[in-house]
Amino acid sequence: MRTILLVTFLVTCFLLSYFMPTDVALSQSPKDCLRCHSVKTLSKNLEDKKTLSLYVDGSKFENSVHGALECSACHTDITMKNHPRPKKIDSKQALSKQVSQNCLTCHPKDALMKPKMHGELVKRGDPSCAECHGSHYINSMKEWKKTISFSGYCLTCHNLDLYKTLPSKEKLSLKVNYDEIKKSVHSKFECIVCHSDFSKTAHPSYNYKDKAQYRKELSSICKKCHTDTELQKNPIHYQLTKTASCIECHGAHNVKPAKGAKGATDNKYCLNCHSKALSMKMKNGETLSVQVKESDIMSSAHKKQKCIECHKEFSATQHPIRTFESISDYRAKAKDICNNCHQDAVKKYDASIHAMSLKNGNVKASDCMKCHDYHKTAYIKQDKTAGLKLCSSCHSKETEAFKSSVHHTALTQGKKDAPNCSSCHNAHDVLSTNIAKINNACVQCHKNIKNAHNKWLWNPPFRLTTFVDTHFNSASCSSCHISVNKAIYLTLIDKNKKKALTEQEIAKALGIDVKEVKIKLDLNGDGKIQENELWQFMKALKKKINAELAGRIDVVEPNDAHKIVAKAQTVKDCATCHNTKTNFSGKLEINKEGTKPAKYELETKAFNSAYSIPNISDFYVLGTTKIKILDILFFIALLGGIAVPIAHITLRILTAPIRRKRREGK
Amino acid sequence: MKKIYLHPLPVRIWHWINALGFIILIITGAQIRFVDQLGLMSFETAVQIHSWLGFILLANYCIWLFYYLFTGKLFKIYIPPFWKPIDFTKRALRQAKYYGYGIMIGDKNPHHSTPDNKFNPMQQVSYLMIMVALIPLQIITGLMLWDPQLFSSLINIIGGIQIATLIHTGLWIFFSAFIIVHFYLATLGHTPMAHIVAMFTGYEEEHDEH
Repeated sequence: MRTILLVTFLVTCFLLSYFMPTDVALSQSPKDCLRCHSVKTLSKNLEDKKTLSLYVDGSKFENSVHGALECSACHTDITMKNHPRPKKIDSKQALSKQVSQNCLTCHPKDALMKPKMHGELVKRGDPSCAECHGSHYINSMKEWKKTISFSGYCLTCHNLDLYKTLPSKEKLSLKVNYDEIKKSVHSKFECIVCHSDFSKTAHPSYNYKDKAQYRKELSSICKKCHTDTELQKNPIHYQLTKTASCIECHGAHNVKPAKGAKGATDNKYCLNCHSKALSMKMKNGETLSVQVKESDIMSSAHKKQKCIECHKEFSATQHPIRTFESISDYRAKAKDICNNCHQDAVKKYDASIHAMSLKNGNVKASDCMKCHDYHKTAYIKQDKTAGLKLCSSCHSKETEAFKSSVHHTALTQGKKDAPNCSSCHNAHDVLSTNIAKINNACVQCHKNIKNAHNKWLWNPPFRLTTFVDTHFNSASCSSCHISVNKAIYLTLIDKNKKKALTEQEIAKALGIDVKEVKIKLDLNGDGKIQENELWQFMKALKKKINAELAGRIDVVEPNDAHKIVAKAQTVKDCATCHNTKTNFSGKLEINKEGTKPAKYELETKAFNSAYSIPNISDFYVLGTTKIKILDILFFIALLGGIAVPIAHITLRILTAPIRRKRREGK
Repeated sequence: MKKIYLHPLPVRIWHWINALGFIILIITGAQIRFVDQLGLMSFETAVQIHSWLGFILLANYCIWLFYYLFTGKLFKIYIPPFWKPIDFTKRALRQAKYYGYGIMIGDKNPHHSTPDNKFNPMQQVSYLMIMVALIPLQIITGLMLWDPQLFSSLINIIGGIQIATLIHTGLWIFFSAFIIVHFYLATLGHTPMAHIVAMFTGYEEEHDEH
């Protein structure tokens, strides 16, 4: 019986111990918690893969303002009933945010909102209380304020990822990297030396509309020590201080000693300022960015060059002040820099249609930098598609046309010999197509092309390539290699100089204004030049210059010339051009300096006029440009040739009796 | 009826090649010029025939020239007696009068052909012009048009391809008319076929020459 009672007692005790609530069984005094949490190595892996130390220094806690509180006063969610059990914690910040909620149970929010800056942070809940004030070892604020250094006081909060969203929606970081200050020229300064309106008791709040205003106004702090007089010693720097803020170049807290920066290697010194969003004003009010991205240089063909190799007049000690009329004036001068190394290219460029166009005030025209960029100069030669892309940025219509050609197909297939724009038009000496002798460009790649044409294009009995030349000289390759409408082009040339006449030269010779050339040509103003209008114009012009009209067959729409088709689709029928019913249109081209030639519609009758013999003396297409009056003469002669014998026979028949009588009379 | 050997074999061969060549050149020339009005052959065929024949006649002309230069007959037959201008003019006028009037009333041809004096004054002037000036000119301009690039320096000298074309076309017109008249005049022998047959056989019947 005694044994039964003993067992029953033990079982009851066991069951009681099992079912009794643990909080009753164990108290929750700090001592209980510290039983485990005093172990220094106690830690927990967080979801963000970081480790959180769970160690609490008991004595330090006891000395804190919260020393008298139970752990559960703050850690309300932890009881012995549910602890220690796995609890997922995302990050230290998340934990402190969660725990900080409990601060508000004792510290009423109203009181915390009173200091303005503190209020804003509490309202936002970021950073949380614990992030600034710490957790277990919070001392009396009064005491803390007395003992802590000024900078320490500021950095308590400002070493955190504090930020402010400005009205411009820009996020302004208020985090201060103390190490940066320590390494800076201002390493010995307390924060309040510069931020003098701040103290342990005062924290004014400023409302900047954007970062630019913030930088500008904060830079005024610098000028307290770095006076205008001191800054004026370096004029270019002084000029910059008028437009740019100190912070933009020098940074806010990591201000480096000026001497150190001057000794900086290679491009670093220049980029110190020029990596920032600097700009300069032109006299005409245009703004030019003088910002240089280091990444642009490093990915460019000039990555091994130093800034001063191009910008020769600049150095760590010299920074001349330069003024320019306009961006185009600046670019024209910048070309000289390129010329230091790339003389050949610049010389060719100077003769190009791009250079002329720029000279004539077309700001959109290409120059070195328009194609090659300022600092992002790419290796163009190796990458043909890059070349195409470059030109296409201005010549989109032409690029579209080119895309339908066999040339573009070859380019996309990565064929070694496939052409891009510069293969035909040249890279630098880009000329107007009517004087560029573009057929020569075709021959450059299609080297054996004369013989290839000579297989079928020859005039018996001898197979001569000169017969191919005859056709190459008077028709563009595209006339046959693209199936589009063709035109006979006449270009006004100076026969003595063997050069195309420009509108300016013509106007000068005729003693009229450039704009009047068109009026002089198209006398009736119908937009088309009639036969007699052309001859009158030529008559007037020939009195002054040995002018002539050079002819060629080409496509009507110049852009179509980019659409070269495959060999099988080309024109091989001679009668396409050698025909009296070709339906070719007529065009008169007059070159213009620095831009594309002026093109006028021309009545095709002009080609069949006897006047074309002296005026278009060196261009003749069998069939198409024949002189019509000779046909009439041919028929008259033929009729005359037949009429003479007929008349003679008739007379002989009529006079036959006379002869008979005479014979009989004998 | 006395026969005289007026046309030596080389001359006869030259003449008939030339005659046939001329006719075909005129026709192909017309086909090239009226490419879509005349449908005799394609433009390319016309050009090919024209070019081939051009060179054949060029060679033929050279044969003629060498023959007449080496035999010395060029001077005898083709050059009018410019040292007797009045006499020559009188004879020429007489010949013209014969063709225009005398032939109608049954006058005798004032000219009697001999191997050394084959042409009457009018023939002499026209054949000299044709053989020494017009045919060479037609050949040269023909060459210029045959390959303008090859003959570009020549073209420049004469003032452009338009001039070459003008001359070549102008002469084409002239020869077209000429050949008709030439054929007609060839029928004015003592029988319509007399001169033509003589051009084949070489022998002209002496008694009734025109």
